[in-house]
Amino acid sequence: MSKQLKQIAIYGKGGIGKSTTTSNLSAALADMGYRVMQFGCDPKADSTNTLRDGTYIPTVLDLLREKKQVDAHEAIFTGYNSIYCVEAGGPAPGVGCAGRGIITAVQLLKQQRIFEELDLDYVIYDVLGDVVCGGFAVPIREGIAQHVFTVSSADFMAIYAANNLFKGIQKYSNAGGALLGGVIANSISHPFQREIIDDFVCRTKTQVMQYVPRSITVTQSELSGKTTIEGAPESEQAAVYRELARRIDEHTDSKTPAPLGPEQLKNWAASWADQLVAIEIGEVRGEKEAI
Amino acid sequence: MSESGLIEQERYTCAIGALQSVVAIPRALPILHSGPGCGSMVLGFYERATGYAGGYTTPCTNFSEAEVVFGGVERLHSIIDNSYKVIKSDLQVVLTGCTADIVGDDVASVVGEFTERGRPLVHVETAGFKHNNYVAHSNVVNAIIDQYVDGFVLDYLPRSDRKLVNVFASLPYQDPFWKGNLREYKRLLEALGLEVNILFGPQSDGVTEWQSIPAANFNILISPWYGLPVVERLEEKYGQPWYQFPYLPIGANETRRFLEGVLAFADSLDGEQAVGLDAVRAKAFIEREEHAFYEEIDNLATFLLEFRYGLPNHVHVLHDAGYVLGLARFLLHEVGIVPKEQFIVDNTPEQHQEHVRSLLAATSEKREIPVRFDPDAGAAQDVLRNVKHRGRGLIVGSGWDKELAREKGCDFLLAAAPCPYRLVMTTNYVGLSGGLRVIEDIYATVLASYA
Repeated sequence: MSKQLKQIAIYGKGGIGKSTTTSNLSAALADMGYRVMQFGCDPKADSTNTLRDGTYIPTVLDLLREKKQVDAHEAIFTGYNSIYCVEAGGPAPGVGCAGRGIITAVQLLKQQRIFEELDLDYVIYDVLGDVVCGGFAVPIREGIAQHVFTVSSADFMAIYAANNLFKGIQKYSNAGGALLGGVIANSISHPFQREIIDDFVCRTKTQVMQYVPRSITVTQSELSGKTTIEGAPESEQAAVYRELARRIDEHTDSKTPAPLGPEQLKNWAASWADQLVAIEIGEVRGEKEAI
Repeated sequence: MSESGLIEQERYTCAIGALQSVVAIPRALPILHSGPGCGSMVLGFYERATGYAGGYTTPCTNFSEAEVVFGGVERLHSIIDNSYKVIKSDLQVVLTGCTADIVGDDVASVVGEFTERGRPLVHVETAGFKHNNYVAHSNVVNAIIDQYVDGFVLDYLPRSDRKLVNVFASLPYQDPFWKGNLREYKRLLEALGLEVNILFGPQSDGVTEWQSIPAANFNILISPWYGLPVVERLEEKYGQPWYQFPYLPIGANETRRFLEGVLAFADSLDGEQAVGLDAVRAKAFIEREEHAFYEEIDNLATFLLEFRYGLPNHVHVLHDAGYVLGLARFLLHEVGIVPKEQFIVDNTPEQHQEHVRSLLAATSEKREIPVRFDPDAGAAQDVLRNVKHRGRGLIVGSGWDKELAREKGCDFLLAAAPCPYRLVMTTNYVGLSGGLRVIEDIYATVLASYA
């Protein structure tokens, strides 16, 4: 029986810790014995750096810029524990169309049947998460990825971005697009942050895959060009990522999310703002009125 | 337009078709920053549209995937550079297509590099998703005025030549008779004592004429709506007032109305801007022209009497607003062919439709002429299929209406783009001679139907 390739897209607002999470996920899955490819879909092309000792690799679009016919193998580099690293790349900031770049790069690998040839178990797309145009939605369209996970902190802007992504998933869900696996809650250090995320996933009919705390270990590993899995395998943080990988590995059924409408989202945020103010001034709320 | 929003038989092109306005300027070179199909589409739509540097001569960046992803400015730079090496031209105009405008290529800065070195290079956005060529024509003309003509304003001080006028009328190539029509306007206006910048076609002096645009005392716009932004821009920039004649003056009545309108407008300018035309001479010219016109009409009398039951008595015109208005007036009052349902297929913007409607209504006090504004000429044909009028009918339209005319047993006059079944070189339909030519063409097709 041929094995089933699992394709996953990880979205999230810029700077939220997407690449860190994705690279640690790839590393943990590779440690579990899977053949993994990490595909960076961000014009900055730095998704796979910590899998390759902090180095940049030539991107698919760099190669396409130089010549018309590109052999996809030229854009594939191996990193930690034989993970295949690919970066889509893109134009210089402010020039051209980065969205089309992502489409072109993804299609190139698909057309050349690289995933089958490399006998992969996992392809993980690390995508710039604001989904500003159709190009950034390509991993969730056209039957490329089956599961989408979104990385979000408890910050409202990150949640807005996640909610937007849910709209994209909902839009393509009837046309065979990817469905939502759940939210990877990142930088969760306080109980109220956990509550915010829990409340959000409850309202949007999805789930939290893992709560990832903010950790100095991650920063230390990244500064030495490594994932936490590689740089501090014995750390608690590495265990958190390994647990995330285990859950994603076991995950089978993704669903169509129920994104909040603009008014709902506004009201939801406002209700949380009130609660946060109450926490800050030390107001105690319980079954009885505050003393 | 149908409920689906789809239209059939568009009788114009997308914005990039305005590259033909560049082709029509003697020794001007259009440079396409677009996919390779855009130029071919335009070339295929119009007849004999090559001119000096149109058609397969036009340089094109052949914008493809690499340009989409990385931006096409480097390629544009090299195409412009190389264009200078292979073709001599006095003015170059970069026209951008959809992809370049979606991607947001900074064309202005590329063009700026060349203009700093003294190259007469202009750029204009002609993304098809924004406009059709009727609108884009004005954008092209205004881009040339802003980016090129304006540089000569010290040589040609605004309104410094009292007898000089700029004429904005036919859209080159979109109007199949544009060359003849522009020539006729120039001849008529010069006969009034004006000097005329006709700007397009072989009667134009090319860039030297364009450079003198600011010096004109006033502008003449012969159009119901297209070209309006040009005269507005010139008024804003150089303080030039403008006279608008809102349709094509075809035949004796309307040509007299047009010329008298110009004379009255010129007469209204006074002080330093007084034009000082010789009214007696102008009047004598109009009368002489009319004399020649009516001599031919007189000579037609026997023919008309002989054929009175075998000639068309009603007409449907499918054309742009300027032609529909001009032909309806001429055919009703000077030929005796009654305009029935009329179809304006140029996508007239809504804000101008009421004016056009009122002009058509003013054609006759006795008859109401039904008119439909619809860029969907296929829908117009469906309407026509189902209308019936007594007597022999005439359809004036594009090559795509030929079959319909056959189907309905109507006489057919091909006078609109696309115009594949007719060779037009210097024929004019405007002016008194144009009116006679319209009569010739209609009755020639009628006579051809007799064995």
